[in-house]
Amino acid sequence: MSILLDRSNRVLVQGVTGQMGTFFVEDARKYGTQVVAGVSPGREGASVGDVPVFGSVRAAREATGADTAIVFVPPAAVLGAALEAIEGGCRLVVATADELPVLDTIELRAAARANGTALVGPNSPGIISPGKAKLGFMPSFCYTQGNVGVISRSGSLSYECCKRLTLAGMGQSTVIGIGGDPVKGTTAAEALELFHADMETTAVLYLGEIGGSEELFVAEYAARSGAKPVAALIVGQTAPPGKKMGHAAALIGSKAEGHQAKVALLRDAGVRVASGLAQMVDATRAALATRECAAA
Amino acid sequence: MMMLEYEGKRFLASAGIPVPEGVVIGNGERSLEEARPRMPAFPLAVKAQVRSGGRGKQGGVQQVKTDDALAATVARLFDTRFGEAKPAALLVESWLPIARETYLSVAVDGRADGYVVMYSPRGGVDIEDGPPPARYPVGTPWNFRIHELRKVLEGVEADYQWREKVVALAQRLVRTASAHDCTTIEINPLVKLTDGALMAADAKVVRDEWAGFRNQEIRQYREAEKQRADPLLRDCLNMQHMYVRLDGNIGLISGGAGMTMAVMDMIADYGGHPACFLDCSPGPTSTRGYRPAFAMLDADPQVKVILVSVFGGGTQMQRVAKSMKEVMAERKSSKPVIFRLDGTNVDQVPGIFVQFGAHNHARLEDAVAEAVRLSGARL
Repeated sequence: MSILLDRSNRVLVQGVTGQMGTFFVEDARKYGTQVVAGVSPGREGASVGDVPVFGSVRAAREATGADTAIVFVPPAAVLGAALEAIEGGCRLVVATADELPVLDTIELRAAARANGTALVGPNSPGIISPGKAKLGFMPSFCYTQGNVGVISRSGSLSYECCKRLTLAGMGQSTVIGIGGDPVKGTTAAEALELFHADMETTAVLYLGEIGGSEELFVAEYAARSGAKPVAALIVGQTAPPGKKMGHAAALIGSKAEGHQAKVALLRDAGVRVASGLAQMVDATRAALATRECAAA
Repeated sequence: MMMLEYEGKRFLASAGIPVPEGVVIGNGERSLEEARPRMPAFPLAVKAQVRSGGRGKQGGVQQVKTDDALAATVARLFDTRFGEAKPAALLVESWLPIARETYLSVAVDGRADGYVVMYSPRGGVDIEDGPPPARYPVGTPWNFRIHELRKVLEGVEADYQWREKVVALAQRLVRTASAHDCTTIEINPLVKLTDGALMAADAKVVRDEWAGFRNQEIRQYREAEKQRADPLLRDCLNMQHMYVRLDGNIGLISGGAGMTMAVMDMIADYGGHPACFLDCSPGPTSTRGYRPAFAMLDADPQVKVILVSVFGGGTQMQRVAKSMKEVMAERKSSKPVIFRLDGTNVDQVPGIFVQFGAHNHARLEDAVAEAVRLSGARL
């Protein structure tokens, strides 16, 4: 198992004829992802590699049985494309775009909930279930199949951490980039519930940042009885308050959103919090070990 | 991007929300003289127009009752630093006859899946020290319901006439926020005047910078922000780089917000000090994109060493390596540069780096240790 994504997802790529879409088709197929259709209005009948291009999500779904969408269109077009995929019946929609107005995300999240669709992103590298399939542009060599579920607010930090886990012999069940924006398609709390229910996942690594309130829910989960062990790395210890550190949500607006408060909150809830990137592997190993002790 | 108070008030006024009568004066020799005839009668409030918080506590709002006091206050406020900057403008308003100060805001909040309305019966400068405001999670803007907010406010606001005014105002703020891509509209204080009327005595309006493609005002705002920056930084902002100045001496050129912060933290852990947060991932990861980043850090006397740390997925490392080769070839500065590239196609990096005698550190720890050592900090 894994969460949201495995070998069974049949993927359609919106904006497939663009540079990102074309790169993705090749890279994702190499990894084993079933890319079955492309959507590019006005370009129906064309193909990218041997992937047929359709003019609409509906046409692509009818012809190929696609049930999952990834959106590679410019920010101004993301709302329209993702709504088409959500309301067109896709079970999983991944929107990687950064620079998406938050109002568009608010609308997308509401539509996803109303339609029972899982939405990942925006401002995210996507999602990968190592050894099975990837939906995004994360570097494949960083990952290996295993039992750690990874949730990350930051793309490149998740590559770095997963590479370290892989080198240390700790594979991942699924790595989900929940994104750096204040409103998210899938929140950390929702991703935790998915990992909680996933048989393959024995521990969760959460990669967080200063700003926002996501970590509150990670702590809430970890404190629950029967929770899977959680390790965490929270970056931004040296970030000054009141300054937006790249991500729209990475801004310390109050004391509770600062590094110290978040780390204290998570530690109190029993989360193994790494003091820095260099200690992240050990924290994850310790979390995995608690699970094994409990099982024995 | 945060609007200045007077810009926020003009914005609120255009949505039919009452704001005090006011005049804006710039920092010019005759600007006070020119603005004087348009000012309301004494007593007046002189308010520094700055983006940093805590202005009231820092003396950024002054009451004046005479022309002499006005002139002296204007001169003094223009010469006072609030946070990082001296005010570019002052707002002069009537001193309001206030009966009560309350707090009202509408803001995007992930926990609410959209907007949240917050109200406190006691507003003003000490809002953060008091009990937390009452929260009404709205979610999507079209979910706002008068009766739901009323129910929330019934628990904290006893004056039903005032409550009804606040509820109606909140509805208008949610509509305005969503129509104009505002992530925050905060009115603190929202005042009740002695005659019972409601007025926005201050305004903090934050616009969503990513909505520029559908909003001319936001686009102009971003442009103005770039124009205020010095030319070297402006070149970086034009490449969509995100920059925050810090007080150390290790110039960090990085990719991805989370990774950049992780590297900053590691630098500090090794005893060094980052000079900046400079995330170059949103822009073109080409020579054109990296050139202004190096130009800015090379020109910055505070920067002793440059650390390039990029871990790319969609960003392909052979392209970044080629850009580095080109930038290094044309660069005049002799400041040392430490590289750590990893990610997609990293196996092609050594072959490119050897062409210009650069070394790519395989481990971030080694790159950071080297940068810290060269920065002069003791390990």
